Amino acid sequence: MSHSVSPHTSEKAMDIVNNVKASSHRIRNSIATIFGLVALTGCATNAPQDTWQPRGENAQIINNLQWIVFPMAGVVGVLVFAFAAYTFWKFTDRGQPIPSQSHGKPIVEIILTIIPALILTVVGVFTFRGIFELAETKDTEMIINVTGQQWWWEYDYPAQEDQGITQPIISSGQLVIPVGTKILLRETSRDVIHSYWIPALNGKKDAVPGRINLLRLQADKPGIFAGQCTEFCGLSHANMRMEAVALSKEDFAKWVANQQKAYTPPADGTLAKEGEGVFLNQCIRCHQVNGLKKADGTPAIAAPDENVYSGAAPNLSHLMSRNTFAGAIFDLLNKKCRSDVWNASPETIGEKYLAGVSETCLNANDLRAWLRNAPAMKPMYADPTKLVKSGGKYRGMPNLGLTETDIDKLVAYLLTLK
Amino acid sequence: MITPGSKYFFGLTGLSLIAAILYMVLVNPSDLGAVALFGLASCGAVIGAMALFTRDGDVYTDEEAVAANAVAGPPSFWPIVFALGGAIVLTGLATVSAVFILGVAVLIGGGIEWAIHNWADGASSDHEFNKFARARAISALEYPGLAAVGLGIIAFLFSRVFLALSKDAGTIFFMVAAAAIFVVGILIASKGFMKGAVTVVVAVLAAIALVGVGTFAALSGERHELAVAAEEDHYDASHRECGEEKSKHYDHHANNTVSLRSAVTATIFVKDGKVYAEAIGMTKKVDTITIPRSNATSVMFRNLDEEDHRLVVNLGSVKVAETGVVEKVGTCTQLTGKNQEQVMTLTIPKPATEGEPFSFTVPGATGEIKLVVP
Repeated sequence: MSHSVSPHTSEKAMDIVNNVKASSHRIRNSIATIFGLVALTGCATNAPQDTWQPRGENAQIINNLQWIVFPMAGVVGVLVFAFAAYTFWKFTDRGQPIPSQSHGKPIVEIILTIIPALILTVVGVFTFRGIFELAETKDTEMIINVTGQQWWWEYDYPAQEDQGITQPIISSGQLVIPVGTKILLRETSRDVIHSYWIPALNGKKDAVPGRINLLRLQADKPGIFAGQCTEFCGLSHANMRMEAVALSKEDFAKWVANQQKAYTPPADGTLAKEGEGVFLNQCIRCHQVNGLKKADGTPAIAAPDENVYSGAAPNLSHLMSRNTFAGAIFDLLNKKCRSDVWNASPETIGEKYLAGVSETCLNANDLRAWLRNAPAMKPMYADPTKLVKSGGKYRGMPNLGLTETDIDKLVAYLLTLK
Repeated sequence: MITPGSKYFFGLTGLSLIAAILYMVLVNPSDLGAVALFGLASCGAVIGAMALFTRDGDVYTDEEAVAANAVAGPPSFWPIVFALGGAIVLTGLATVSAVFILGVAVLIGGGIEWAIHNWADGASSDHEFNKFARARAISALEYPGLAAVGLGIIAFLFSRVFLALSKDAGTIFFMVAAAAIFVVGILIASKGFMKGAVTVVVAVLAAIALVGVGTFAALSGERHELAVAAEEDHYDASHRECGEEKSKHYDHHANNTVSLRSAVTATIFVKDGKVYAEAIGMTKKVDTITIPRSNATSVMFRNLDEEDHRLVVNLGSVKVAETGVVEKVGTCTQLTGKNQEQVMTLTIPKPATEGEPFSFTVPGATGEIKLVVP
């Protein structure tokens, strides 16, 4: 019986083969391009959360360790992958006889035991040294309590006379520290586990409810260093950021003095004064402004424990001395002013940061949008049906239904909180 | 043909799907329960498909299977256990939840055993092989399960004995019992002294003794002081007397030992009649402790004085709405003996007012530690 293939069928088959070849070429090229681009990202220098750009003693310890461990791990990884690839290629079943099998070659086994043991010993020596150096706390010069909650960080500075802090300071979003000072963060959490990580200053440390974990930071030069919560903590985990602002000791002293300044109410008859009234009606339910008094002259004390699941909301005293709000996800400064601060030299950054947020520099768009409908800006379980498990309490700021006039007043008031 | 084994799993899949849909409609569509039920349905479907694919792992032809099932297996008591489980569940529904949970456990255990027994009976016409098949299928569950139940009973009986004996007698009992078990263990291990029958006799006698003593102890109830403590509710906050004197109830059984050292934010000491504090991470003594608002935070109190002391936290005062009486707010630890320690956990939702700052004090000692809630 003979088979005949028509020329038409044969051409069709060749077309299919060519198409498949072309597709496989395209896929290969795409994969190579993607890998190439990913590899190129490693060359980026403007990468605020790059672990290879240490800016402090502790981050330097980690970086030194990386330079030992990564090349070793890289060489081992390349060798293993190369050997595996060679094995797959060489011994793919092409119908050839099964290669000779051998069991128990003492020399090979001894070598394959000794080499990894030696590698692990070298890595272990440097790693343990690094761990002990990072755990050092005896020479601490300053303490800051750091409390994580969904989805922002609170910083409180206990009174420390030798640092010029005569009364406790409370802030959020941006951690302000003096350069060249051994800072010890005492971390905890109000709700779920979070993790504090500013790569330029140190590794990460979990903030665990009911526990106090210690993390040491030190910045060599003035600057702003970005960080990110690194323990999945719920809906807005990706929006839980932080920034550490390192100031010279003189500038830090000015910052402390400003934070300890008493509250100054807005002048009567101003829009800001009306904003203070709106604040007392709405915002004080959760947000504290130290020194703010009610109309009857008694202190206005916020009650976040009655309204928010974590029992806390950012203290807004001196809000406009910070550059960010809403868990450091939004800037209080507009793009130009922000860039001016972030790109300032170590010599001038202190002055620019301490200038705070002026009316001309205010990122009014984001602030107004936040006041208009916060959950639309940052997911925060605003849906009342989702609040059953938290006893009706919000995880984050709800939509307060403020009118545009109220928002105008509030923005004017918040601008006075410097 | 759909195999018998796969039918069970497909049935489970169907029931789980129905349950999941009902759960979503009646309870909560986005709850974890629905996810779990859908997960169960998926697992049932996968295992059912595998059972179908492997023909239940049955190597027999249909004729052989019919022949195997034609022979009656030995009688089984598992249906009785299963029924007993049902009865206990019903009893539990009418009485207490512990009985209900016991009933569910018996029901599940009995059900699994019954199912495996039934499955093994039909494995072949050879009873010995069926016995082997049953053991192979269930032993991996039976032995750990029985061991867990056995250990639970032993732990329960021992705990009854400890609760019935005084603290000192309990210590002696534990030492004697542990030493006896150790010695018997050595004798059994060395085999020269104790052989098969003797070991069995010793084990049975020990079991009888433990059951007897445990039952007797359980019937006699807890030792006097524990019974009194439970009856008078010694640890209730309403009994707290935070002064220098010993409280009749609250200080009756202070624990005085602490295991959560690393979780405290600070330690407050009293030594030579003076109060001082150290905070974690701070090298110098502190006169102020800062506690985050609305966050459960623990402070340790360590008494290095000759006298007994307690730590008191003063949290201002509050006016009772109904009576108009101003009452002090605060709490305290139990009286703490020399070189002993206790932990106080505080959750403070609001900062202090200017007129009434928060503080820690130790009655009978001088000095105070300021407490700041920012």
